[in-house]
Amino acid sequence: MGSPISTWEGAQAYFTAALSPGALMFWVALVAAAVIGAIVHTVRHEEKSVAAVRNGDRG
Amino acid sequence: MSPDELKQMVEMSGTINMEIFYWWCTAVMILIHAGFLAYEIGASRVKNALASAVKNILAFAFIIPTFFLFGWWIYLAMPNGLTPDFAAAAAGQPWAASMGPNLADNATGVFWAVFTMFAATTASILSGAVIERIRISAFIILAVLVGSVVWILAASWGWHPSGWLTMKWGFHDTAAAGCVHMIAGWFTLGVLLNLGPRLGKYTADGKAVAIPGHSMPMTTIGLMLIIVGFFGFLGGCIIYKTGAQWVTIYNTPATLSAFAFNTLMGFSGGVIGAFIASRGSPFWMMSGGLAGIISVAPGLELYYPPLAFVLALVGGGLIKPIGDLLENRLRIDDAVGAFAVHAGAGTWGILALGVFASGYPHIDAPATSLAGQLGGAAVMAALGFGSGFLASLGLKKFGILRSAPEAEMLGLDATELPALPYPESVPATALPVAAQLAAADSPAGISVQGA
Repeated sequence: MGSPISTWEGAQAYFTAALSPGALMFWVALVAAAVIGAIVHTVRHEEKSVAAVRNGDRG
Repeated sequence: MSPDELKQMVEMSGTINMEIFYWWCTAVMILIHAGFLAYEIGASRVKNALASAVKNILAFAFIIPTFFLFGWWIYLAMPNGLTPDFAAAAAGQPWAASMGPNLADNATGVFWAVFTMFAATTASILSGAVIERIRISAFIILAVLVGSVVWILAASWGWHPSGWLTMKWGFHDTAAAGCVHMIAGWFTLGVLLNLGPRLGKYTADGKAVAIPGHSMPMTTIGLMLIIVGFFGFLGGCIIYKTGAQWVTIYNTPATLSAFAFNTLMGFSGGVIGAFIASRGSPFWMMSGGLAGIISVAPGLELYYPPLAFVLALVGGGLIKPIGDLLENRLRIDDAVGAFAVHAGAGTWGILALGVFASGYPHIDAPATSLAGQLGGAAVMAALGFGSGFLASLGLKKFGILRSAPEAEMLGLDATELPALPYPESVPATALPVAAQLAAADSPAGISVQGA
């Protein structure tokens, strides 16, 4: 991790972990997990909210 | 300064101008989303105003990472149809060297950003139609599907230098009326069939009941913001070539001046067409402005401006009757007329190019023709409708497409969100749940349809 370059001379892809495929795939997987996790969280929140309405806790 | 240094300086200036151009196109396109946000808030009743806003914001937020993960890859991979070109798409893999800061690549980031904004636009088109009863989670899933998969697949087929619709049939759609507007509009129709109308939209004997939003001024302003954002959108539809003339996505020459003539004439014709057809409804008139631009979008660089005006006049005039057909005859509750505006005007625009602008040459592809436009329109409609219908049917089968009736009657803001839109000035308009349920059981009660 950290900088993949030690000089700007001739630098091309210089983003963090640019030379580490394993690290790049880790961050990609983390983004995918966050997206999916957020959707799952939303589903659960909706179900709890509706249950609260049905139980008379809201409205 | 040596000739080589001068040449290098000119080339780098051109490259940076290209980046600047698409950077500001992206920024202007965000106004489309500001517009859709205001539009949908205004079109919602007070009890759902914030839920509509949240839904729209989330569409934008979820499209960005998913378009990074797989949307851009799909565009590069699929121009041949359903067989991926893995070599061509390697640069679009999320771990590719071009998918991040890279001093040897000034183009990928800004192009990806512009395409991401197109993607978010397709999700916003869906967003308005389904307000006040779709579950936010289901909407996010459908938004990601239309924004990061379906539209970009269609773009790869018909809005790409090597897309098969163009290479085989001569399909031409310079400003994305097909892959953005038709796809999103037809996708929306597929979703609406499974989602069903809002509670109270139809009486027991099937008559449509008007459900006005709580702020027509906000809706009208939102539509005007979308028009402003449209200029960024259309700017993103032309390719900047350093030291050479602009070209379309098909590499045919074009100018921004041509776009300027026909965008404004299209807006004007659309507003006037909708003004006549709707007898002055501000909602349909502003929607008509959008419809007018969409109607001329496929040939934005080709039309004589007065012809563009007339095509837009027709497109703007069509949307109200299409909206009425859906609402009154087919009993489909499209809360903002999204199908009429985007699928209606988009389809008309694609076909109109075949009628009024056939015979224009492509580079290494057949010339424009009515047959090519008919075929392309059929593919766009089928892809959009089929994917929207099947995906929403799946969500419906799992029972996660639509909000519970209690939540819908109480209002999605009070049910799901920790905030109220106007806490000091407007009382909650929702009746207590029990009273509304009792009303639903009355002889003139509301019908409950959908998931």
